[in-house]
Amino acid sequence: MRNRNATAYRFLTPYLLIFAIFWVWPIISSFLISFQATRTVPWRFAPGFNWGRLIGDPAFFNALKNTLLILVIQVPVMITLAMVMAVLLNSPLLKARGLYRFAFFAPVVVGEVAYSAVFRLMFSLDFGIINKLLNSIGLPKIDWFSNVTPAMALIMIAVTWRWAGYNAIILLAGMQSIPEDVYEAATLDRVSKLKQFFFITLPLLKPVIVFCAVLSIIGTMQLFTEPFLITERGGPGGGTETLGLLLYRQGFRSLNFGYASAVAYTMAALAIAITLVQLWLTREPK
Amino acid sequence: MATVTLNNVVKRFGNFPVVHGANIDIKDGEFVVFVGPSGCGKSTLLRMIAGLEDITDGEIAIGGKLVNDVEPADRGIAMVFQSYALYPHMSVEQNLSFGLRMTGNPKADTDRRVKRAAEILRISELMERRPKKLSGGQRQRVAIGRAIVREPQVFLFDEPLSNLDAELRVQMRVEISRLHKELGTTMIYVTHDQTEAMTLADRIVVLRGGHVEQIGRPLDLYDDPDNQFVAGFVGSPKMNFIKGRIVGRDAHGVVVELAGEEKTRIVQPLTGAAPEAGSKVIVGVRPEHFGIAGEGDADLTLAIDVVEHLGGTSFVYARTANGEDVVVQRDAAKVPDTPEITVSIRKSYLFDEKGLRLR
Repeated sequence: MRNRNATAYRFLTPYLLIFAIFWVWPIISSFLISFQATRTVPWRFAPGFNWGRLIGDPAFFNALKNTLLILVIQVPVMITLAMVMAVLLNSPLLKARGLYRFAFFAPVVVGEVAYSAVFRLMFSLDFGIINKLLNSIGLPKIDWFSNVTPAMALIMIAVTWRWAGYNAIILLAGMQSIPEDVYEAATLDRVSKLKQFFFITLPLLKPVIVFCAVLSIIGTMQLFTEPFLITERGGPGGGTETLGLLLYRQGFRSLNFGYASAVAYTMAALAIAITLVQLWLTREPK
Repeated sequence: MATVTLNNVVKRFGNFPVVHGANIDIKDGEFVVFVGPSGCGKSTLLRMIAGLEDITDGEIAIGGKLVNDVEPADRGIAMVFQSYALYPHMSVEQNLSFGLRMTGNPKADTDRRVKRAAEILRISELMERRPKKLSGGQRQRVAIGRAIVREPQVFLFDEPLSNLDAELRVQMRVEISRLHKELGTTMIYVTHDQTEAMTLADRIVVLRGGHVEQIGRPLDLYDDPDNQFVAGFVGSPKMNFIKGRIVGRDAHGVVVELAGEEKTRIVQPLTGAAPEAGSKVIVGVRPEHFGIAGEGDADLTLAIDVVEHLGGTSFVYARTANGEDVVVQRDAAKVPDTPEITVSIRKSYLFDEKGLRLR
């Protein structure tokens, strides 16, 4: 048996090597880099340099505030919307279900640059369809890109559009795994459809909802594409700058790898902490 | 408690007919079992009574009231599902009380009903457990308990024991029988297992291919089947069927010659019109109706394939000269230690070529 294990490990070695070099080492390395002053040549060990700056950096707190704001508003809205979409998709009355399922999933497949360009066009002040629609129902135009609040709303709308369908498909799969006869039993128990949703579907779907929420939290903590491409690098004036964008700006524009690494570790730690709190809050009773 | 009447009930899925005009009258307090092979329409029939399946044509009445367009919840029925269909995220107590709580039933009454059901089914000590912490038999009890708390007019059981092991099945069969005696409520029970049907039912409805083949008390079906299907389906091991030919008539009935056994002729009393001489027929003999040589009209020598000794009784699996498989039931002590066995036919049934009983 030991021999067979040894053979298995020999086969696994090329993968493990690549995994160690390109996965494990960068994680360790960036942790070490976060303790170095990387704006000097050569880099020198200075534990307080980056971490100390982080604590007092208004740009960091601005990015943190924006990221958490998006997280707190966008994730619940998106999961709720995804749930509504999943319920509709699950309806036996729905015709051409496959088509809808594809349509809901399609935004994930569309290229990020293409989708961002379309959103910029749609929300454009002078010739965007959204402002045309607002005008047509008597509302004033909104300058989505020059004011912070509309810009943040735009980011949230874009992220929701892109990921709601994806979450809906996951929730739909969860819903379809609930046996039909449980609902039949509830029907015979005189439980209304609405109560069946709240007292059977939702509780049984809890693990799937938590899964979607955790994925969304991690995704939002790393949010980069939308503020980079739609609101042009976190504009206006850093109003939509997220932690992901700050990391990019520090690491790859200012080449300050030490500080970027510290930001990266903070993002990861926050994602883990929020996820753990959520898992604890939604844990199964013994 | 209530009667259940099915009047020419038809079910089609698209153009595919599943139940062809079923007529069944179930009396108040009766235990009726729908039995038949897979796909015979028995579960569909039950689901139509429950209202979980629409009726294509015909009428269903419960307690004398037409329920074709009545919602499942308002039919006064409770159903026990094959898969138990318990709410996995609720404790046993919550499973039992869920329906009552959701419909605003007074708490005191809900508690009383849940307590009573738990006592009847002896699950009082399991009330705090979740379904996944229960054994198959315990889950089945909870499922039955959930039906009891509704205090329905009619209980519907859809193959409730098929997920249990053999020993537990026998135990739960006895429990369900006891429950019926205790509650006295009308019960309709679906199974493909003829032993369950025979042991539980006041009356059995035998179904095949969406048709009701025969309705009757268990022993009536066993002793007096209407056709070859019912004769073969009811009883274990099943009835033996041996091809034969009418060769004439005597004072006692028609004379039948068994295929490949020119010397073996049996006389079958018939009150109805006898088929013409030369007509092909099927002779049905139950395993226990083979006697020892010389006891019946004629003796038959069979080649023994296998003998199953079950203790007091043995089953001899053998073949006729014509190559037809036959099972003979014998006292263990009377099974010969030879490659052949000679038996007599003490009692037999006659069926025409279409399988209809000739009486």
